[in-house]
Amino acid sequence: MAEHKLLLKHADDKAYATLQGYQAKGGYEGLKKAMAMSREEVIGEVKTSGLRGRGGAGFPTWIKWSGIPKEKTDMHVLICNADEGEPGTFKDKQLMEDTPFLVVEGMTIAAHACQADVGYIYIRGEFVDAARSLRKAIDEAYAANLLGKNIQGSGLDFDLHIHMGAGAYECGEESALMSSLMGERGMPRLKFPHAPFPTVSGIWEKPTIINNVESYAAAVPILQDGGEAYAKLGASTQRSTGTKLFSVSGHVNKPGNYEIEFGTSLMELLDLAGGIKGGKLKACVPGGSSVPIINADSCEKAIIGYEEMGDVGSMVGSGAAMFLNEHSCIVSFIWRTAQFYAHESCGKCTPCREGTKWMLKILERIMKGGGEAGDMELLMQITEQIDGRSFCGLGDAAAWPVAAALKVFPEEFEYFIKNGRSMVDSEEARALAPKWAQAVSV
Amino acid sequence: MPTVSDLIQLGSRNDRPKRPEPADLQLKFSDKAVAQLDSLRGHYPEEKACVLPGLWIAQREYDGTLSPEAIAEVAHRLNRSFAEVEGVATFYSMYNTGHAPGKHVIEVCTCLSCHMCGAYRVADSLKEKLGIEFGETTEDGLFTLHEVECLNACDRAPLIQVGDEYIGPVTEADVDKLLTDLKSRPERSSVQISDEIVKVHLQADEA
Ligand SMILES: Cc1cc2nc3c(=O)[nH]c(=O)nc-3n(C[C@H](O)[C@H](O)[C@H](O)COP(=O)(O)O)c2cc1C
Ligand code: SF4
Ligand code: FES
Repeated sequence: MAEHKLLLKHADDKAYATLQGYQAKGGYEGLKKAMAMSREEVIGEVKTSGLRGRGGAGFPTWIKWSGIPKEKTDMHVLICNADEGEPGTFKDKQLMEDTPFLVVEGMTIAAHACQADVGYIYIRGEFVDAARSLRKAIDEAYAANLLGKNIQGSGLDFDLHIHMGAGAYECGEESALMSSLMGERGMPRLKFPHAPFPTVSGIWEKPTIINNVESYAAAVPILQDGGEAYAKLGASTQRSTGTKLFSVSGHVNKPGNYEIEFGTSLMELLDLAGGIKGGKLKACVPGGSSVPIINADSCEKAIIGYEEMGDVGSMVGSGAAMFLNEHSCIVSFIWRTAQFYAHESCGKCTPCREGTKWMLKILERIMKGGGEAGDMELLMQITEQIDGRSFCGLGDAAAWPVAAALKVFPEEFEYFIKNGRSMVDSEEARALAPKWAQAVSV
Repeated sequence: MPTVSDLIQLGSRNDRPKRPEPADLQLKFSDKAVAQLDSLRGHYPEEKACVLPGLWIAQREYDGTLSPEAIAEVAHRLNRSFAEVEGVATFYSMYNTGHAPGKHVIEVCTCLSCHMCGAYRVADSLKEKLGIEFGETTEDGLFTLHEVECLNACDRAPLIQVGDEYIGPVTEADVDKLLTDLKSRPERSSVQISDEIVKVHLQADEA
């Protein structure tokens, strides 16, 4: 299967980032159609499309949108989660840089469907290029009355602002993002059933919709060509429809974003990215650092779909496939994963704050050649104590990759602990390790 | 110059923390900065939401560092207590609250894809050439080296960031040229990125 481009179709065209170029390619047709419909009809179209949130959890978008109170008594807020921080992912970055109007138009469609008065695009601080591109798009849209008061005479008022983060992965978690946007530390808040859904009482206690960049962008082709056409894509899967952007990186010849139809196999995705580089395929983390790692055999079987990926023990996640060749030391890879979560844990709850540090400490000890018998069991035990016992999804996400690696590649951990060095012994492998670990890896 | 304990105003138990007042402060925001903060207020239903953008403005106005004075000025202007704003500022890694960074801040991504594509070789080479470890600044104050988590442009691994610019893929062989190029840059990278970030918040008629 080749790429199937709905969102990235014109991404190479520089003019597509300007209003004129965007409209020349059919831009804002989707909004026009949406405006001619009632808000229920727009949500109905999204329901027909089967669109599921592209930020990681795969929650049906239409259910979220219909959670907004029917009677409008207060300001409604729309948030675009552009905090893209999941290691391996860079699809939202490209959408914002190359196709900013898809994001703006998608949000305007959602504003109509959710009766939103104001929208915020929360962009991670490092993404200045993406923010500049969106800034230009928003300014142009205002000038053409595609944002602001009484958009195109439709009666819809919608303001759109950019809000920059300042370096914290945790702010991608939706309730932490709201804390951050309100001017607080980026820590998560109580969730349903301990607190109302954000659609009822979200940021500033106002009805709030929060979606990923790609989810909003997908609303454009859905409204333009109809939900049914979108739902036809991915027919070979159980419950995944449309296209998905995949960021492919690691040991591949052509790293980059590839837009594929659900139902494509993981190996086809690898082929699109030019195949594996520097040796044979060893493993893949198919959906961003938070999802379980799979070995080459599972890669051969993996079909890209929310349910199908579960069959090989992993997940679609945010859509970021990192492929590893035979010279990759899994222990080293997992040690670095653990460092990421230990660094990004916000510190609010104990299992994650302490557990991520313990895991890192043990993995560091193994990497230094000082692994002890029982370390694998200890690591596994810690993952079990974090998973499901943390305040937000970051804790679970920190536990899964470690647990999966221990299950899928136990021999590598055993070898490292026993011999004080990596089982993967090659010039290439040694060169990749940090100096302090290299001393024992040779 | 007020001390930190002046700024956090240890008062009686029943006192709500108050905002720092000008008597304790030397307000340094330029007219432009004050106007930008005013425009930002219009973006949100609550003034408190301006804390993050306010800190970006302050980081630019205070030469790239959020010193206690800089944080106090943000707190004053947004009617928050010093402790609250300091608590926010220290949460985020892109605010320089600890120490003043060097003129050029080099941030090396060593996260997963970059690690697998040789980031530690680049990092080790930078450390050796600059004679510093991660988190340190060279004696001449020119360079600060940081290890950062995924910058989410892993297709360009191994990647580094300087100011608002992503540079990658980089190899050990590129390090000398990179350092020479950076030396010729007039601007401080932490000021430059803060300014760019402030600008993208503002609409065409606000900037
Ligand atoms: C630790 C953590 C980090 C997250 N980071 C992101 C992110 O960077 N971008 C994103 O869209 N969603 C992220 N999410 C998921 C969001 O919480 C939320 O589910 C998503 O924004 C909803 O949008 P969607 O329904 O369109 O996917 C993260 C979740 C967790 C637990
Ligand atoms: S799991 Fe707990 S400590 Fe970890 S990021 Fe979430 S709230 Fe913070
Ligand atoms: S791992 Fe370095 S940019 Fe993603």
